[in-house]
Amino acid sequence: MSGYFSSILQGALLTVGVSLAALMVAVLLGLLGAVAKLSGRPILVGLATVYTTLVRGVPELVLMLLIYYGGTIGLNNLLEAMGSKASVDINPFLAGVLTIGFIYGAYMTETFRGAILSIPKGQMEAAWAFGMGPVRTFLRITAPQMVRYALPGFTNNWLVLIKATALVSLIGLQEMTYLAKQASAATREPFTFFLFAAALFLVYTSVSLWALRWLDRRFSLGVKRANA
Amino acid sequence: MKNLLLSLSLIGAAALVGCGKTETPAPEAAPAAAPVAAPAAAPAPAELPELKVAIDPTYEPFTFKTADGKPTGFDVDIAEALCNEIKRKCVYVEQVWDSMIPGLQAKKYDVIISSMSVTEERQQVVDFSDKYYFTPSRIVVKTGTAFTDLASLKGKKLGVLKGSTQEKYAMGELKTVGVNVVPYEAQDQVYLDIKSGRLDGTVADQVEVNGGFLSKPEGAGYGFVGPVLADAKYFGTGVGVALRKDETALKEQLNAAIKAIRSNGVYETVSKKYFDFDVYGN
Repeated sequence: MSGYFSSILQGALLTVGVSLAALMVAVLLGLLGAVAKLSGRPILVGLATVYTTLVRGVPELVLMLLIYYGGTIGLNNLLEAMGSKASVDINPFLAGVLTIGFIYGAYMTETFRGAILSIPKGQMEAAWAFGMGPVRTFLRITAPQMVRYALPGFTNNWLVLIKATALVSLIGLQEMTYLAKQASAATREPFTFFLFAAALFLVYTSVSLWALRWLDRRFSLGVKRANA
Repeated sequence: MKNLLLSLSLIGAAALVGCGKTETPAPEAAPAAAPVAAPAAAPAPAELPELKVAIDPTYEPFTFKTADGKPTGFDVDIAEALCNEIKRKCVYVEQVWDSMIPGLQAKKYDVIISSMSVTEERQQVVDFSDKYYFTPSRIVVKTGTAFTDLASLKGKKLGVLKGSTQEKYAMGELKTVGVNVVPYEAQDQVYLDIKSGRLDGTVADQVEVNGGFLSKPEGAGYGFVGPVLADAKYFGTGVGVALRKDETALKEQLNAAIKAIRSNGVYETVSKKYFDFDVYGN
């Protein structure tokens, strides 16, 4: 019995690893997407729009199957057509991270785009007037103010992303929901193990909420709250 | 805007570098997902080529994991016996049921030995070996119910799983003699309604109904009546090893191996370990 619990705990580590790494990918893609959408260049705007529309409009489960299995089958067929006997084996951890990151990058794009638009343009213009370069302007002026506007949407995306990691079992990763299902099937005690997994998710999301609230307070210093 | 673009792409580049560092849990996590080596089997000589076997260990007693994480069950023991016959080393890959066939097509593994029934739809995309087991279905009602032939169940209310082979059978053979057949979304709901008195019984897979109902407290006072149901017209041809369509040589080997373990007694030993009846069927 305790063996099953410890295997679910190991699955929880995997869940944390996949979600944090996927978050990095999502933030990167989100920043690139937001910049592309705000760049005013038709090609970049078009690409970013196709990305966010497509990814946000197709169920994650379908995307995961398409990207991972569709991709692998396609690559294998390609290799075969070229006369190679070898078959590709994509690392499932990397595939899971990239797929989830790719999906949530689309949501982050919209979150970051809105946040950047919320900053009064005069702020950036003042920085340029003082002779700050683009990097310094972003780091000192845009980013600190953007964080405050982006955090509520970011928090939502992050919580949904954490729970979406339950989907990586589809591509062969032993994350905690699948391990809980295995344990409940072997013992025929579903509630024990599913409640345990649910509690672990709750712990994880609670800890991240606490951290994000701290960030929010940090980046809202100097802003008067309406209800404070 | 141009400045913003430049600055953000720089940040992006910085994040990418950071990303490489933070992904260090990857190598640690990867082994947990790696194929689990065969349990129990004697240390095989290193030169045996691997046979990657997909299982979904959520189907006790056929495929499940022990508390210490080893795959076990009837399917796994059969897989071991087959590997032994064809001189390959079984390496297990755990895969969720929903992506079982895509994984086979993507060459993540060579065969599926996970209680997969041979059906026409599946045969359109994958190939199957000969069957290695076939669990028949049975009618379950209160013990002591008078039974001479199917018609004697007239007026009884039996629950079945929607879309199942048992539903096909019940509609074809029981409804026609006046039995009231009620389809349900899940087999557990059938058991709940038997318990609450809304149903007189069910038609279900013999192993499933044993583990999920008859062996439990709520199944007390219920038992099998009538014949063992195995008509291929309703119940198909059984459970086989699934493999890709172009693997004819492997299919031949597996079919020969199934024949061999059937005749040399290995199959019987495995079957007896899990069941008190002959799981191979007729």
